Amino acid sequence: MRRILAALWFSIKSAGQNFRRNLGVSLAGVFTMGLILFLVGGALLFTHSVNSILQAQQANASKIKIYLSDSASLASIADFQTRLQHDPRVISVSFESKDQAAKEASQDPDIQQALSTLGSNPLPASLNLNIKQLTDLARFDQMAKSTPIADKTTATDYNPDVINKLHTVINIIEVVGGVIALILFVISLVIIMNTIRTAVYARRTEIEIMKLVGATDWFVRWPFILEGIIGGVLAAVFSGGVVFAGYHVFVQAAQRSLLSLPFDGSYTVTLLILLVVGGVCVGALGSYMGVRRFLSV
Amino acid sequence: MSVAVAERPEVAMQLNLRPVISFHGVSKVYPTGTVALRDVELAVLQGDFCFLVGASGAGKSTLVRLLIREEVASTGRIFVDGQEITRMARRRLPKLRRKFGIVFQDYKLLSKRTVAQNVAFALQVTRPGQRHLREKVEEVLWIVGLEDKVDKYPDELSGGEQQRVAIARALVHRPRIFVADEPTGNLDPDTSWGIVQLLLQINHRGTTVLMATHNREVVDLVRRRVIAIEGGRVIRDEAQGSYLRPGEATL
Repeated sequence: MRRILAALWFSIKSAGQNFRRNLGVSLAGVFTMGLILFLVGGALLFTHSVNSILQAQQANASKIKIYLSDSASLASIADFQTRLQHDPRVISVSFESKDQAAKEASQDPDIQQALSTLGSNPLPASLNLNIKQLTDLARFDQMAKSTPIADKTTATDYNPDVINKLHTVINIIEVVGGVIALILFVISLVIIMNTIRTAVYARRTEIEIMKLVGATDWFVRWPFILEGIIGGVLAAVFSGGVVFAGYHVFVQAAQRSLLSLPFDGSYTVTLLILLVVGGVCVGALGSYMGVRRFLSV
Repeated sequence: MSVAVAERPEVAMQLNLRPVISFHGVSKVYPTGTVALRDVELAVLQGDFCFLVGASGAGKSTLVRLLIREEVASTGRIFVDGQEITRMARRRLPKLRRKFGIVFQDYKLLSKRTVAQNVAFALQVTRPGQRHLREKVEEVLWIVGLEDKVDKYPDELSGGEQQRVAIARALVHRPRIFVADEPTGNLDPDTSWGIVQLLLQINHRGTTVLMATHNREVVDLVRRRVIAIEGGRVIRDEAQGSYLRPGEATL
């Protein structure tokens, strides 16, 4: 225990010393990594914002109206409604009677006139479904068409085209965002590796002596890995701050232009954690790879 | 005594003395094709003091590097303290290296650390949390005669003093074998003599000492075991040898 603590203390102390002694190189590394993390964070936030706008649209879009035949009995309609309510893909189902449909439609004065001229109500009753996944809409459409209680002429009402496009856009944005983040991750790994390599090079005599007197590989490695982690955390904090400031400004600008984009507080916390974890991983991994070459004595 | 038996394995067997270092048919060919050592047979007993002599490029340094496993032998087997080291796993090397105290021609001191810190470093990185660190460091600095330079930096010391710091660092963990590769290479004759005296003193305390050198005066004055290498072969191994065999003009 005493030895472990002493080893830990030695690692922390030499990591701190390294960081300070090569302050220029260290800060340059932190700055570059911070910039990259900033880009990653920005890309993720942007993807998230676009996604949430699209999700909102999707919520509007994932509605389907199933028109009911006038001859359908109330019992069979209620039966069908219960069945839909128990379907896990469905968020909500509401019944709209012929009268409600007429009332709704009467908001348009032309239709109101047409209705009063007719004297009777030609509008069908309907079940209005709100479902979770856009992709399931087609299945519900099929299902409605095969039900005897659905209206024979127009069974359903939804917009398959817009939905497909929206879906494609969401997918593309997610993939592009992911790819950009991955590329940036690799770039920062290479940068950290080279920064640490410079630091390691400055201390090659020390490493040589450590190996010579019989220090273990991990004992040599730890200070550098800690140094990488310190750099990673600093970079994450720095970039996190900039990203949030930017996000705040972006959201305000979006709201001014009447785009419904809420400031997503819980996502910013997730993102900060993500940036710190990313910084730590990149810092540690980069150091590990940077120091590897000098260990083969 | 041990010097004499080193030459006669059967006597060593009878006395139940096992060599602390032994080479069996060791050759080393570098990837470039250079043959640095050829079929070396060698046994060093606990408590021996050996000079390893030969011209530059004869193979002295290769022998030292094989011994501390900085290089791996191409063929043959090397035993240190009863352990075969040629096929030793990488993770076991730290333990092996702790059996050695090693000094080089270029002292390899850390310029940003004081004399005491340089010596303490060896213990801190191999035995973190070592008790009585300060006392141990002071003790070895006293042995090498630098007790009044504890807080100086290497740049403030002479070459001989720097080599003494390196020796103190190599001694602080009480190694079984002390290896010095050209320790006097950068020093004037008087200072060199002082360093050799120190190594003899270390040997006198029971540590096996192996010193690679081409310092003729020193070897001839001390008259201890001499192993001469030429072209990668051991050409001579004498209990009380000199740098050159009588009549030889050069090695």
